Amino acid sequence: MRARALIYPAGDKMKEKIGVYVCECGPNIADNVDIDKVIEVISALPEVAVVERHKLMCSEDGKKFLKESIQKNELTRVVVAACSPKQHEATFMKVCESAGINPYLFQLTNIREQCAWIIADKAEATERTIRYIRAALRRVPYQNALEKKEIEAKPDVIVIGGGIAGLSASLLLACGDRKVYLIEKANTLGGKVKELDKLLPRMESSSNIISQKIKEVENNKDIEVYTNSEVTEVLGFLGNFVAKVKTNEDKELELKIGAVVVATGFGMLDIKQIPRYGYGKYDNVYTALEFEKMNTEGKILLKNGKSPKSIGIIHCVGREERGYCSGVCCTYCLKFANYIKSKLPNAKVFEFYQELSIPGKAYQKFYEDTKAKGVDFIRSQDIEITEQKGTLTVNYKAETQTLEPQNVDMIVLAPAIEPNSDADRIAEMLKISQGDGGFFQEEHPKLAPVSTSMEGIFIVGCAQGPRNIPESIVQAQAVAGKIFSSLIPGKKLEPEVKTSEIFEALCIGCQACLTVCTYGAIYFDEMKRVCVVNEVLCRGCGNCVGSCLSGAISTKHFTTIQLHQEVVEALR
Amino acid sequence: MEDNFEPKIIGFLCNWCTYAGADLAGTSRIQYPPSIVPIRVMCSSRVDPLFVLTAFLRGADAVLVAGCHPGDCHYQDGNYYTRRRFACLKKIFDSLGLESDRIRLSWISASEGPRFAKVITEYTETTKKLGPNSTKKEIFL
Repeated sequence: MRARALIYPAGDKMKEKIGVYVCECGPNIADNVDIDKVIEVISALPEVAVVERHKLMCSEDGKKFLKESIQKNELTRVVVAACSPKQHEATFMKVCESAGINPYLFQLTNIREQCAWIIADKAEATERTIRYIRAALRRVPYQNALEKKEIEAKPDVIVIGGGIAGLSASLLLACGDRKVYLIEKANTLGGKVKELDKLLPRMESSSNIISQKIKEVENNKDIEVYTNSEVTEVLGFLGNFVAKVKTNEDKELELKIGAVVVATGFGMLDIKQIPRYGYGKYDNVYTALEFEKMNTEGKILLKNGKSPKSIGIIHCVGREERGYCSGVCCTYCLKFANYIKSKLPNAKVFEFYQELSIPGKAYQKFYEDTKAKGVDFIRSQDIEITEQKGTLTVNYKAETQTLEPQNVDMIVLAPAIEPNSDADRIAEMLKISQGDGGFFQEEHPKLAPVSTSMEGIFIVGCAQGPRNIPESIVQAQAVAGKIFSSLIPGKKLEPEVKTSEIFEALCIGCQACLTVCTYGAIYFDEMKRVCVVNEVLCRGCGNCVGSCLSGAISTKHFTTIQLHQEVVEALR
Repeated sequence: MEDNFEPKIIGFLCNWCTYAGADLAGTSRIQYPPSIVPIRVMCSSRVDPLFVLTAFLRGADAVLVAGCHPGDCHYQDGNYYTRRRFACLKKIFDSLGLESDRIRLSWISASEGPRFAKVITEYTETTKKLGPNSTKKEIFL
């Protein structure tokens, strides 16, 4: 504790001129707090140079009054007792700045929401107001002037993955002042959507849509496409990333970009891991993508070249094993039934499902139409597939009654959607985390669904979790919006000012702070053997401070001494 | 025990959830005992366990640390660290023979104004039963 106090020499209290301003907030504060009494008590304190009141400090008149009073009294620190900092901290910081005083030498104390409005007794509220102001008064001399920083930012973007999500994001992002580098691992663009025949629910041709997108991307002069290529390294932060790309000619490319969009898509569960489905063991058991391919090629045929008379489509393959619903299988299994019914009108189709997941405004009708074509839906569990003399049998437990095992000629399995096989490597390379099921973890499931803990790195489409095509496109457009608003060509970035800082002299290099930092904002300086905060990445939560055993870290504007002074005064 | 004892509670409130929850209690005009002095921090994980100890040794009758609900942290997982540190702190209090009932960790979200008022009311009541913190008189540091 002693060391901590030493780092922050207290401001020279004799030289500081502190002004206290009490806002009446119309009747909101004035009715419940005896402001005359407050002013009387606070004026008597030796450290206070001036105490003033105003009817409504946040009004134009109030702001003018505050500014003039700060200048007239040549104040060096300011305390305003008014509403919550969430309401008007920024307002008064601007006033301070315009009055020529650093905005971080000002403290707003909340005497409205957390005082006047919660205490019925006026004397008590007055007493509390005085306590709050005293705590702020004690804190403010210890506050340090902080300077806004500005850094150059590159507006260009790298998009990893050229599936529907990556293509959509690239097309939106590439506009005049912004270059997009689209990196695709495979030798062509289009991803999984290119392997599909028709799209739900209108059954329009998939290849029309995807080839249109690919053409647009290839013709866009602001998009550079690299197929057969891989991103091998990404270093830096929002506005200033450097990415290394290995291209198909085995050349290494270095790209300077401002943001990274991860659109690496998905893989499918390897059904051989679950032997009871008989995949790989029996002929005529296909995965969804294999069936899709067969259908695209024109004919639905058994291995022996004959048309199947009955087909079983099995949903939820691997759902229990993986622990989540992939969300898209039920609808594409309905599509498969339609494929079959249009090509083989007399074939029997059985859909074995555990739970039917067909949300959205279009799919209910699609389901009913499919059912009307004579497709049987069987709610079933514990499916096991056996084969005897070329006939496949689906053994299952039905929900309500015992049903006979169903013999079919062909089986189509709908396996769970998994993260791309590259996901682990990419997570490690980008220092983003993986959440449920191994998909990339979003910053916040509700409030920040496409950003990650690393500012400037975004996740779209199935890289973030199982998604259908419209959802993937929505996410791609969301990411474009995020990038448009944060990386404006020609505009500099203003990183967080209230960051953590580590004092070299006290750091013993134990790296405890490094492990608790979510944002990867702390690195270890091998030469000096100390940890260093990257102030551009730091968001100022202060978690590292609590982890530091040497007391070497502090968070600006929430330093240990500042908080300590506030506590001590509050307890007096 | 003094009859008219009004406990002093130091409350470390996280900026994003609990502080906003306390503001909401105010805007909804919910009355609760004026026992807590709020100290705003950006994240509950900023609360060094030493802050709690210092406040306690300086005579706070109770110390509250409050943040976002687990999984809702504005900084992703800060409150998980808080939770772990707080568990250690409780152990330390117990092993030193300090009253660990006087320190408390709560999760209060920005929309839980009534809950904030309820937590403070309850905590004030339990602290009243414990009486004034005698640590200030008994421990010399």
